[in-house]
Amino acid sequence: MKTLVNVARYHLVDRITYVALPWAILTFSFLINLAIAAMAPQPPGGIYTGGLVTIYVFLLACGVSSMTRELPFGLMLGVSRRGYYLGTALLVLALGIAYGLALTALQALERASGGWGSSLHFFRVPWIMDGPWYQTWVTSFVLLVLFFLYGMWYGLVYRRWNVIGMVAFVVAQMLVALAVVAVVTLTHDWTAFGHFFTTVRAPALTGVLAALTIALGLGGFGTIRRAAI
Amino acid sequence: MPALDEGTPLFVQIAGQLADDIVDGQLAEGARVPSTNELAAFYRINPATAAKGINMLVDDGVLEKRRGIGMFVAAGAREHLLAMRRKLFAEQYVDPMVAEANRLGIDSDTLLSLVRGTSVSNGGKTQ
Amino acid sequence: MTPTISVTDLSRRYRDQAALAGVSLTVEPGTVTGLVGRNGAGKTTLLRIITGLEFPTAGEVKVFGAAPAENDAVLRRMVFVREEQAYPDFRVGHAIRVASWFYPNWSTELAEQLLADFELPLSRRIRRLSRGMRSAVGIVIGLAARAELTLFDEPYAGLDAVARQLFYDRLLADFAEHPRTIVLSTHLIDEVADLLEHVVLLDHGRVALDAPAEEIRGTAMTVTGPAIAVDEFVAGGRVWHRQRIASRASVVVPGPLDAAAQARARALHLSLEPLSLQQLLVHASGSAVEEKVSA
Repeated sequence: MKTLVNVARYHLVDRITYVALPWAILTFSFLINLAIAAMAPQPPGGIYTGGLVTIYVFLLACGVSSMTRELPFGLMLGVSRRGYYLGTALLVLALGIAYGLALTALQALERASGGWGSSLHFFRVPWIMDGPWYQTWVTSFVLLVLFFLYGMWYGLVYRRWNVIGMVAFVVAQMLVALAVVAVVTLTHDWTAFGHFFTTVRAPALTGVLAALTIALGLGGFGTIRRAAI
Repeated sequence: MPALDEGTPLFVQIAGQLADDIVDGQLAEGARVPSTNELAAFYRINPATAAKGINMLVDDGVLEKRRGIGMFVAAGAREHLLAMRRKLFAEQYVDPMVAEANRLGIDSDTLLSLVRGTSVSNGGKTQ
Repeated sequence: MTPTISVTDLSRRYRDQAALAGVSLTVEPGTVTGLVGRNGAGKTTLLRIITGLEFPTAGEVKVFGAAPAENDAVLRRMVFVREEQAYPDFRVGHAIRVASWFYPNWSTELAEQLLADFELPLSRRIRRLSRGMRSAVGIVIGLAARAELTLFDEPYAGLDAVARQLFYDRLLADFAEHPRTIVLSTHLIDEVADLLEHVVLLDHGRVALDAPAEEIRGTAMTVTGPAIAVDEFVAGGRVWHRQRIASRASVVVPGPLDAAAQARARALHLSLEPLSLQQLLVHASGSAVEEKVSA
């Protein structure tokens, strides 16, 4: 257990990448959006922006980094791949909880200040992160962990199967997406597809995402076991 | 720092250098001999090798171990070494000298007077 | 006593290339073993498998009596200093601090002394260091960890001769005070020859020589002198190498030469010179016949 905590601490030594940058970029994105909201004419209902996605994308980058740049030295320190992976997972869970809480708090502030005085919906994402605080917390937690794990996957695929593997990985995902589209089109089920998205409630979607996250987590674990470093 | 050559086993050379110091009087009887680690650091060799050299001298009765304190030059060590070296003197020094003298065509009488002359200038006592 | 490392019939293939083929050896606790051989002989591959970074194709490796791969209990007792270790975007101080968390025997005192010896600035980013300084970071970590099994794979890339000697001196001093098992892979054999207790020579993925250093020393001599005398001296015996210039010749003969042979050589006015460990291993590498000197 101590080793896992040490691995988590190891990642955090690079505070710039894991703490400073995600929040700095998010702040930057937020300020830009706020400036626009303050200056531009207000549509009814307020201004919605997807700027929040920046922090998730940055966590994806952290995930890649954890399995590429930071892996060789980590393994030098007498840690097995399993220990390294689990220690990293521990960090991700901790970050997910902490950052999720921060996002929830910011969402509450946004609601209380009427969109920061300009009806800006930055931290309130309609339908998935617009409800009670505990739901926001859980959803942001799952999304943060999911993006990080997704990034880890890219890192691991690259480590184990190199550039060819990466390309195959991306192509495989595109093919899966295409297959879904094909199936839905062929069964003329677009209305049902859309209907599904409008009727399923946020908690259910979060549940699906959580399942996906766990699958990615377990799969990553299996991938790293036989990677040559 | 005394050089170690490539041919003779290292531990033999270490033992030899310590023996030289005893014969020359630089290590008196009862004096403490450098420890294994000190020798290893000095000669830049593995401590196990240094230990082997010391043990060889212990086995020959030249050094003695005093528990907890270290290695010391045994009583009578110098005499013992001198006796051993005297036995080897002929083989190591005299035979080659005679061979070389023969090669150069120096006869025994000339050779003997050379030896005497050298020992006089060296302050020796050879008859 | 259980050997620290026990390798049995180890093989590692990449596609159609065999990096290691049927390697068997043991490393006893508390010894300094030199792992030598030409580039591509398989030294790095062997060390990577011993430290669990790579997996064998066949055969078995045991460290402290257990397989090392993915074995936290074993990995914790080892430190592996590689050539060209990759670091994250850390400063020197970060890397040292992180290492101190993971190694139970870590010595802050030794780390500080070594950092001063190698003049490593704590606040400099590792990626901004010269190659030699970066190697020094690895050496500091490797020595200060005081791990029971310490493995070095040509850890001195970019270090000048003075710094290398500093490394050997510090290694020897700390090894003497805090005994551990050391495996040092190097092609600068003569620089470390006196530190080694045991030598393993790899050639094209196989063990060409596996013997105590003492046994290897003096096992060959160069005999130089007038060509006629040289020929007379070696008549009928084995000769490894022969060279001539004008009327002088130089041959390498397997040794050791006993006192009688040495006297005969002197009588013939031949000079005898033992081969250095490096020269011996070059010959052993080149010889078509595998020579196994019993350990």
